[in-house]
Amino acid sequence: MGYTITEKILARVSGLDHVKAGDEVMAKPDFITAYDFPGYTDVYFKQMKEDFGIERVAEPERIAMFIDHMVPAATPKEEELHIGTRKWCAENNVPLFERKGIGHQVASEVGYAVPGAFVVHFDGHISQLGTFGTLAMGIRRNLLEALVNEKISIKVPHTVRVNLTGTLSKGVLARDVFHHLVREMGPASCRFQVLELGGPGLSQLTTEGLQTITGLAMFTGAVTAIVNPDEPRLAYALPRARKKLDPVYSDPDADYAKVYEIDLTALEPLIVIPPTPANSRNLTEFLGLELTNGYLGSCASGRLEDLEIAARILEGKQVAPGFQLNIVPTSNEIMVAAGRAGYLATLTEAGAFVSAPSCDYCFGRMGAMSANQRAVSTGTLNVRGRMGSPDSEIYLCSAATVAASALEGKIADPRKYL
Amino acid sequence: MALENLRGRVAFIFEEVNFDVDQIVGVKNIKITDIDELAAAAMQSYDPDFRTAVRPGDILVGADNFGYGHPHYPPMRAMRHIGIAGVLAESFSPGYWRGEISMGFPQATCPGILGMVERWDEIEIDWAANEVRNLTRGGSLPIDPLSNADRAMLDAGGLIGYLQGKRQPAA
Repeated sequence: MGYTITEKILARVSGLDHVKAGDEVMAKPDFITAYDFPGYTDVYFKQMKEDFGIERVAEPERIAMFIDHMVPAATPKEEELHIGTRKWCAENNVPLFERKGIGHQVASEVGYAVPGAFVVHFDGHISQLGTFGTLAMGIRRNLLEALVNEKISIKVPHTVRVNLTGTLSKGVLARDVFHHLVREMGPASCRFQVLELGGPGLSQLTTEGLQTITGLAMFTGAVTAIVNPDEPRLAYALPRARKKLDPVYSDPDADYAKVYEIDLTALEPLIVIPPTPANSRNLTEFLGLELTNGYLGSCASGRLEDLEIAARILEGKQVAPGFQLNIVPTSNEIMVAAGRAGYLATLTEAGAFVSAPSCDYCFGRMGAMSANQRAVSTGTLNVRGRMGSPDSEIYLCSAATVAASALEGKIADPRKYL
Repeated sequence: MALENLRGRVAFIFEEVNFDVDQIVGVKNIKITDIDELAAAAMQSYDPDFRTAVRPGDILVGADNFGYGHPHYPPMRAMRHIGIAGVLAESFSPGYWRGEISMGFPQATCPGILGMVERWDEIEIDWAANEVRNLTRGGSLPIDPLSNADRAMLDAGGLIGYLQGKRQPAA
């Protein structure tokens, strides 16, 4: 009887020979990650000390802190939160990554996406480390358990396997693939389960594309997503890895709760209409809808391939008059690469406002919309009020669709510009 | 302290699948921290008289994938303040589930619940028998058993009590 990659990882971190889906185990995360955010980290720091008497963490190298929200600070109060985080990290000798980019991306860049590792965060978008065969879960407030105890209680999740086949058409990006999965499988299809991606169609996706898809796994109901790490993923992750582990893989006869076959060949660009990420639609049904704003960035999109295709679409042209296009590379590493490749110059000349990496555009702290404004966005979410006023609207789509729409000031099909 | 059976009326039925709980207080109110203000904002777009109609111990009922989206804590904080004792749903979104269980707020998954209750029916959730009973009209349905960890967390009244009860060497 075979095991999934998830079962193998959770067996190792539970100190057991093997575990099966449904087992309740006590697991020691290899890494505990978090970004500072009011009500989360500041509360953890206080609780650890006052409720649990922890003055210093025992294994600081297992923890990684990121400062990526409220960057740069807009109020003294925000800066005070960051000061508290810096102080706690310094006192505890915990690595801190500040102003390096969005933490979920930076985590991979600096070696926390170790193939075979188990990583926790309070935020579910950490699932994108699954690109590299890392089991990374957002466990919300229960992150405190990982901070005060060596092990956390966890029920080994079942796995839904998605086999991708076929080839992607021009102008169809990883972002479209993810929203297609939600449409085909349903927003509750993977509830409490792991979304495992495989099949020959994986070769159609880059590492960046897989980060996009795995990072959005929560909108299928999944607790995380994972890919059995292949050569390109290992080549990226192993030289950076902060821990020596043998990568693990699902057995051919592993038990899956369900197996989906998803053909990429006929896939067209999609758009996700407000107010929920469950609302995937064909882009062509919404062409021409008037827009005021566009956002290209976030931990889901905003990587080099997103910036490249946007630059290709916008090169030598101008964003529609009055249209606000904010472009935010996901990390400094990506921003530097995009600068060297000339994309940032192209985008800026076309009229985009290019910001340094920050999470702030995704949740309306920056680039906020007013009532009756409408955006196309590569952010993570389109719920009411996510990017400002509850009476503004967010249509989620690929970077290519954001760029094409910016040219026209209305929802546009990127394929005619490619 | 142990988790007691819940007995109360069905205070509201959210029939929308993938229900985004932030709608309970409205996104524009999601950053309110004052509990009275939050409670005053709760359910205004669904039933303005909700707050006065609820009695302590009443229960909410939801559809499939209750809590989908990007759930925040204030809506259920407001509900608890109003007197709501727990939520029964056809199924839950995992992030929402985990968040509220860690707050010590009882939730139970009960496939078929929408077909068994009407608003203001008196119901009982029996954690030992793993079932929910409709005391007004009769009938019962099984609920999915809680995991050991979820049960322990509810028994302890939430994450902090749970963790304090089982301290291990610190990380």
